[in-house]
Amino acid sequence: MIQEKDINEQIEWAKINADVMRSLENPRMAYWVAVIICLLMISCAVVAEIYQYNVGMGVAGLNNPHMWDLYIATFVFWIGMSHSGTLLSAILHIIHADWRKPIYRFAEAMTTFSLMTAGLFPIIHLGRVWNLYWVLPYVSDRGIWPNFRSPLSWDAFAISTYLSASMVFLYIGMIPDLAICRDSARGWRKKLYSVLSLGWRGDDRQWRNFRKTYLLLACFLIPLAVSVHSIVSADFAMSIMPGWHVTSFPPYFVAGALYSGCAAIITLFVILRYFFRFEDYMTLPIMEKTAKLTFAIAMVWTYLNLIEFASTWYGHNMYDKEVLIAKATGPYAWVFWTMIFCGSVVPFALAFRRLRRHMPTMFVVSLLLNLGMYFERWMIVAPTLSLAHEPHQWNVMWGSIVEWAIVFGSFGWFGLLFLVFVKVFPSVSMYEVKEMIFHRRHHNDLVDILEEHESAMHKKGAGKPGLEGA
Amino acid sequence: MSDFKIDRRGFLKALGWTGAGTALAGCDLPTTVTLEEGAEEVVSYRLPKEYAIPGVAVWYATTCTQCAAGCGLHGRVREGRVLKLEGNPESPVNAGRTCMMGQAGLQNHYNPDRITRPMQREGGRLVPISWDDALALLKGKVGKGGEIPAGKTVWFTGQVSGHQAVLIDEHLKRLGGGRHYAYELVSEGVWQKVCEDLLGDPQPTLDFRAARLVVSFGADFLGASPSPVHFAKEFAAFRHQPGDRGVLVVAEPKMTLTGASADLWLSPKPGTEGALALGVAHVLVKRGWNVVDVPAELRRLLDRFDPRTVSEITGVAGHRIQRVAFLLHEKEGAGLVVAGAGLGSHKKAYEAAAAAMLLNILVGNVGKTIKPGTPFPEPALAPRRGTTRALLEFAEDIEAGKVQAAFIYGTNPVFTAPGYLKMKERLASVPFKVVLTQFKDETAMEADLVLPLHSYLEDWGTHVPPVAERPALSIQQQVMKPLYGETRGFGDVLLALLKDLDEGTFGAFPDYYAYLRTAMENAPAEVKGGVSGWDEMLQKGVLLAKAGPAAGLKPKLVAPQVMPEEEEEEAGSRPFHLIPSPRLGMWDGRHANLPWIQEAPDQIAKVVWGSWAELHPHTAKELGVKNGDYVRIESDHGAIETQVYVHNGINKEAVAVPLGQGHEAYGRYAKGRGVNPLRILAPATDEKTGELALYATRVSVRKLDRSEKLIKMGGSETQAGRKLVATISADVYRRTEGEV
Amino acid sequence: MSLKNILENWSAYRKDAEKGGHHKYEHQWGMAIDLDLCIGCNACSTACYAENNLAWVGPEKFAKNQAMHWMRIERYWDQKDEEYSEQGASFLPMLCQNCHAATCEPVCPVAATYHTPDGLNAQVYNRCIGSRYCSNNCPFRVRYFNFFSYYESAWPAPMHMQLNPDLTVRDKGVMEKCTFCIQRIREAKDKAKMANRPVRDGDVITACAQACPTQAIVFGDTQDPNSRVAKLWKKHQVERGPYTQKKPKTDPEIRGYRIFEELNVDPSIMYLERVREEV
Repeated sequence: MIQEKDINEQIEWAKINADVMRSLENPRMAYWVAVIICLLMISCAVVAEIYQYNVGMGVAGLNNPHMWDLYIATFVFWIGMSHSGTLLSAILHIIHADWRKPIYRFAEAMTTFSLMTAGLFPIIHLGRVWNLYWVLPYVSDRGIWPNFRSPLSWDAFAISTYLSASMVFLYIGMIPDLAICRDSARGWRKKLYSVLSLGWRGDDRQWRNFRKTYLLLACFLIPLAVSVHSIVSADFAMSIMPGWHVTSFPPYFVAGALYSGCAAIITLFVILRYFFRFEDYMTLPIMEKTAKLTFAIAMVWTYLNLIEFASTWYGHNMYDKEVLIAKATGPYAWVFWTMIFCGSVVPFALAFRRLRRHMPTMFVVSLLLNLGMYFERWMIVAPTLSLAHEPHQWNVMWGSIVEWAIVFGSFGWFGLLFLVFVKVFPSVSMYEVKEMIFHRRHHNDLVDILEEHESAMHKKGAGKPGLEGA
Repeated sequence: MSDFKIDRRGFLKALGWTGAGTALAGCDLPTTVTLEEGAEEVVSYRLPKEYAIPGVAVWYATTCTQCAAGCGLHGRVREGRVLKLEGNPESPVNAGRTCMMGQAGLQNHYNPDRITRPMQREGGRLVPISWDDALALLKGKVGKGGEIPAGKTVWFTGQVSGHQAVLIDEHLKRLGGGRHYAYELVSEGVWQKVCEDLLGDPQPTLDFRAARLVVSFGADFLGASPSPVHFAKEFAAFRHQPGDRGVLVVAEPKMTLTGASADLWLSPKPGTEGALALGVAHVLVKRGWNVVDVPAELRRLLDRFDPRTVSEITGVAGHRIQRVAFLLHEKEGAGLVVAGAGLGSHKKAYEAAAAAMLLNILVGNVGKTIKPGTPFPEPALAPRRGTTRALLEFAEDIEAGKVQAAFIYGTNPVFTAPGYLKMKERLASVPFKVVLTQFKDETAMEADLVLPLHSYLEDWGTHVPPVAERPALSIQQQVMKPLYGETRGFGDVLLALLKDLDEGTFGAFPDYYAYLRTAMENAPAEVKGGVSGWDEMLQKGVLLAKAGPAAGLKPKLVAPQVMPEEEEEEAGSRPFHLIPSPRLGMWDGRHANLPWIQEAPDQIAKVVWGSWAELHPHTAKELGVKNGDYVRIESDHGAIETQVYVHNGINKEAVAVPLGQGHEAYGRYAKGRGVNPLRILAPATDEKTGELALYATRVSVRKLDRSEKLIKMGGSETQAGRKLVATISADVYRRTEGEV
Repeated sequence: MSLKNILENWSAYRKDAEKGGHHKYEHQWGMAIDLDLCIGCNACSTACYAENNLAWVGPEKFAKNQAMHWMRIERYWDQKDEEYSEQGASFLPMLCQNCHAATCEPVCPVAATYHTPDGLNAQVYNRCIGSRYCSNNCPFRVRYFNFFSYYESAWPAPMHMQLNPDLTVRDKGVMEKCTFCIQRIREAKDKAKMANRPVRDGDVITACAQACPTQAIVFGDTQDPNSRVAKLWKKHQVERGPYTQKKPKTDPEIRGYRIFEELNVDPSIMYLERVREEV
């Protein structure tokens, strides 16, 4: 029987609480294995970074002209992935798409952790990491300020703002849930939740304030998210390099980010649904809706890609055209075509209902989509640097083991943060699920009432059609 | 090997003055030094020594010895250390400019692999000894009543001049008159003989400024030549004449630095350059463009070299031959045909160079662009020009038992001699070998006694440049105090040897400085060039001498027999000509121990830190090789394996392996890098002069399985449609530019 | 980049970009490089190594393009498809063009590169945090990064005694590039100041120009109409200014041009076209 409703409207509150809080119980072996794997990945990165810090950036394989490579690509990738939460929690909230409610919590967490991962890379890629704080505007005794004209300076502001706003949004949104947890927790958890829930009682006034705050933050976060990734795209768009100096980069990057984020949501959806047995909440119709959303964004991304290629192709700039042709036919071609395949062809799997409802397929598809998106970031950075204006400095570079180790480890870092989160905080928003069920139930009740009324009116014959107390 | 530690304290101590000026700033390492820890005693000079005002540089004039050109230098000295070398504007050789070898001289001076103690061979190894012991050994061998019989001591050096050369002569005189061999791999021996025979002057003046056309047959005057900076300077003036522009035509087997600047670069088959010259001469005479009468014998010879025939022989298109002839005619009297080492490297080199000189005579260049030489007024100080013949004769004389003791200075024959001479074994048969050097090069490794010398920046001397705008005596002055306590000046060693043999004449001089000063203060007026005091001499660094008497030029027409008598053996198994090319930078390999030279990309191939074999694209295609592939180049005397570089600046029948790498000793930067093509040379000499025919070796080239990325600079060999180096035609230039 | 500076000169920063800079220049150091005289000999490049404490990096790092040649002689083959390269090779000495509208300056997050009142693009080693955006944005690719602590191996004793005390030895993590021998400019300016006179043409010469055997490189103050370099610029009708020359040259065949001029970066180096006889 194909489940049509987004959620079973008859679930009891107590069951919701129990189901979600069961996910916070002491973890099984599989969880510890995952943690250890993540720690191993992180240690690869730490070892590599220590080596790089001591010996110099050259060990990453960087050179003239490839002054940036995977660190920046990965940075953009993680920033991109962070748009998932904002999209789901903020944008969909404002348009009252309540199917987001069971899944937005982990999406928002993903945003925060993606940003925390992304934020590592501007640090890692610096030649003199210990002077990082010079990008921040503080009153220095030499009267020197950062260069506000530089997109990298904007990055510093944008990312720190977005990270702090996301963390606040995640936290605030969790308060009612933390209160629920507090009420049924013991030991260290009880202490933790008591502190974090800020004395939430759930009374009317608190709920009203809460709604206002939540809405305010959501409204604030949306332009922030768009601006952050536009600013990150400015790292490239503000330069004069062919392949970078593209006006469509801000929307292209934002579209790519939403795409990346949605794909990551699908991935984590499948994982959490399986391991925590959240089938009642992370339902197939919701998966379908997420998949359809992803598909739509995939088409937007594809369109923006085509626009970029078309304008380069029909433009008269020799350098831009050179880079484009090199992307498709040069040494990086295999990466480029994988990106095209994963980014524009694979999403068609999301157009088929049967596939949309098949969790293993969705898992693989979402990973492929993100692979495509990672390659996209790589293809933004590397081909331009390998060519550009000066033919004498043309050079093909592949990252060294140090670079890959650090990139690899960043996934471990993200994974670890996420693993810790799902065991300490409820990864499904209990109160919002309750809201969703309540509204659906009442909406259906209301619809029933209306229909009864209508037919009753019909039978009566005339009279004002009225909606009482709707 | 040095006494210096690299830690910060040692570093600062070596500067002689602690304090500001040597900040390792920009590093901002996360370690901090407290005020207490970092405190050091700062003592400024109350009475500064040697004008050592901290922060203010002092300049000393000296002479560069990185090649035999004798360019004048100004050394910038701060706090007693020489930091930078610039050209001496007073020098008529280089007029204030330098080349890359001159700039890299600092690394020769500060090289970490310098020998700092005398060494003696004991049981097959070199062990350090004291100078006293070394001098005692020398006394026993070549001192008064020494072991070595009279006349059996020789000096084997590079090109030398000035008072050092005088002392060498004096030394040999007192030891029974053994020979002084002056050997340079980059030799002008053939050209000089041609000039002597055909003009009556072995060293005529080549006046580039009076020329509007230069045709070079293998003369890399901008690169591996007797005076690269001088010729570059002259070339610049030649290029940009008021309202006009000089035209350069170069014919050579492989593009050199000179060929890279050519308006027309031709590549006749290696060994056929003489035929090419005669082909041009044929056209000149046929058209009646010759300004002197042509004797019948020559006319008959020239008849055989019509453009079609010559085109077949050389591979150069007929219309090009016509064109060169036309240019010579058009710029009659303003043309200059030169031939150099690149040509003088075949069995018929002399004949080919004579054919080139023929062209000059035919169109009346003699007296206009080729002028009488300006010999140095004191022949005793004039350069002993290095030739390759000297090496061959040295090898022969060793074989014949004429050499019992050899003093070797300024040359590395074990490395630069062709492999078939088996120089190492040959030298082993010489009972007593003294090598005076700064480095443990291949020759020093075979020595019985190694005497460590000062670097040229620590030493005194005089030099007469072989080529200059006018005759000059360039003074070599100590620019800083010797780095090591146990090295000695070359002149000082000579003087010590001479004092032992002739206390009477040389005993009055405590050291070479004293000898030089006395000699210079008492030099004849023609040498001093109007400079009176010693101080002024040192300040100027160069004395502009008055030329000695020179006979006028008496051009003589000959009929050069440029074609080989016997049929060349079928190419068959050895189809290619090996071109072991010297270049500005590595030279003959002497600068392979300088990291700046190793890291400076070869001007043509842009390869660094290694060897390569240049092949033409057609050849590469036939062999199925591309850049970076390894090939085996084999002659009848050995084989070398190196990577390929493909470009169309090399003859299709040639494979060029540049000189300089393949050292087996000579310090950390030179050792074990690349291959030495001189190892596999065939025993071939120019028939007339006996000079080594460096380009006469036939080789086979075979692709190997190995392939690695060629370490070179440059991600693109073409400009890829950009306007980076734009080129305009000379007509336009003449039209638009008057005075520059 | 102090706040006071920004506030006071805001208007100038905004508007003077059209004039190719935002300073009243004391000097505008520039060069004229004659590609017809350049023989590609490497004297300038080696002189630069000696003068500016450049580290040689060795074959492995050179192969990875991690070398530090501030001045590089590029060699191009223009007749690759012909049988022989009959017009020789094309040499291009490429070094920091000290653009007046430099693309590297705006993108440094900490303002470690800026335009001096002398018209130079200055790289402040102390301030650089090594984000490397400047090098990415340089179309000439003349900015070199210290990928390692090269000084640890490039000056084994006693080679370290050759180091020029007038400028630093850079550690890893810092960007560097040709400075038009700013230490020599500084010295000349100091001398002129002490002698109470302006800097004259010929007081300053860069290491590369001084070494060049053919004198292909002419260095000087393009703002001083009496300097050799200013006269050359004038003769070859190349003007300062970021936008393409306002008036076309009276003779389009005059040899002077700047590289990548269409990018509007206003380089300080004018190149003179190479000439070849049609033989």
